[in-house]
Amino acid sequence: MKLLSKILGITFIPSIVFAEGQKSAGLPQMDISTFPSQLFWLVVTFLILYVFMSKYVIPSLRTTIEERKDKILGDINEAEAVNNQASLSLKEYDDKLNSASNRSSEIITSSKEESSKYTSDLKSKSDDKINKMIEESMNRIKLQQKDSENQVREATLVAVKSIVSKYIENVPSDDEISKKLN
Amino acid sequence: MAADNPIDPIHQFEISKIAPIQIGGVDISFTNSSLFMVFAISAVFLLFTLGLSKKSIIPNRMQMLSEMSYNFIANMLRDQVGDQGRAYFPFIFSLFLFIFFCNFIGLIPYTFTVTSHLIVTFAFAALIFLAVTIIGFVKNGLGYLRIFYPSGIPVYLAPLIVPIEIISYLSKPISLSVRLCANMLAGHSILKIFAGFTVMLGFLGFAPLVFLVVLYALETLIAALQAYIFTILTCIYLNDALHPDH
Repeated sequence: MKLLSKILGITFIPSIVFAEGQKSAGLPQMDISTFPSQLFWLVVTFLILYVFMSKYVIPSLRTTIEERKDKILGDINEAEAVNNQASLSLKEYDDKLNSASNRSSEIITSSKEESSKYTSDLKSKSDDKINKMIEESMNRIKLQQKDSENQVREATLVAVKSIVSKYIENVPSDDEISKKLN
Repeated sequence: MAADNPIDPIHQFEISKIAPIQIGGVDISFTNSSLFMVFAISAVFLLFTLGLSKKSIIPNRMQMLSEMSYNFIANMLRDQVGDQGRAYFPFIFSLFLFIFFCNFIGLIPYTFTVTSHLIVTFAFAALIFLAVTIIGFVKNGLGYLRIFYPSGIPVYLAPLIVPIEIISYLSKPISLSVRLCANMLAGHSILKIFAGFTVMLGFLGFAPLVFLVVLYALETLIAALQAYIFTILTCIYLNDALHPDH
């Protein structure tokens, strides 16, 4: 029951307020008598705030923000300079590396050429030597062959002569025998 | 009496004098509204004093926060107005911070929302409207009147368009001030009503409590959003004054 009366009370609040409003000057917002005081203190407080903001806060904040901006810009510039330098030295390093590798490949090709030339020279020299040796040995073999042929012929001649002298008296001369043998 | 009612949603907007001051018959008493204006600017002072106490290239949290707010408004102004808007930056920045902190401090229970009072938002809107109109005429002379006749409109439509443009121009301060004030007023009233439901319903109060939490998140968003909208509209009006052809 108590609750119900409370709920009813709430339901009638607007009418209570309205009734109260009619008794006085309505909403406090409409009470003209408070206007001068509100306006006066509004002007005073807002002026103080305005002066505080424009004389102290804003210049101070502006310098801080600008200082930071300058610092950031400075840092960015510095970083860019360092970056440029780094890329420059990287390029230098690359160039050096390239020239070194070029030089080394040159050295490799030239030494390869040299070594192949040396080996081919050596080979041709040894070939010559071998050919000469072969030729010499061939000559020697030929000489020896001739020699042995002669020896064989002489031996044959001697043998033929001795055989022939056993069967015939009239022994032909050596020249004749050798002519026949050939 | 509504003031005695624990869930009077309007009570939070009432202005009570803290220190009565009268100058020349004008009542300029220091009220709860004035107190929360002082709180709002104190919050700004605190934020920037802490944020700027140890300035460094690599910012700490508070410095980050103050620089983020600076950049947020500076970018908004640059996007909307361009480089010509630089001169108005201190005003725009102060305006945003003032409204933002008033909205946010007002979200704390038992506090007062300065921006829920139409006279405060209207004072800002009227100041902006007058300033923008003066800037427009100073920078463009009578050429500023071109904003009432947008380019590319056929001449025979001028009798229709020009009055509409004039009315829309003149209603700018009203829409600007009412938007912020009404958002704050409605949001805080609803929060108070649901908070009242939660208290009154006792055990059943968890249902409106859940709703209240969701609504509170929404109001937090609105507090930031309305400060943003107020500021960006100011920038847009300023841009209209500086470049009426666009």
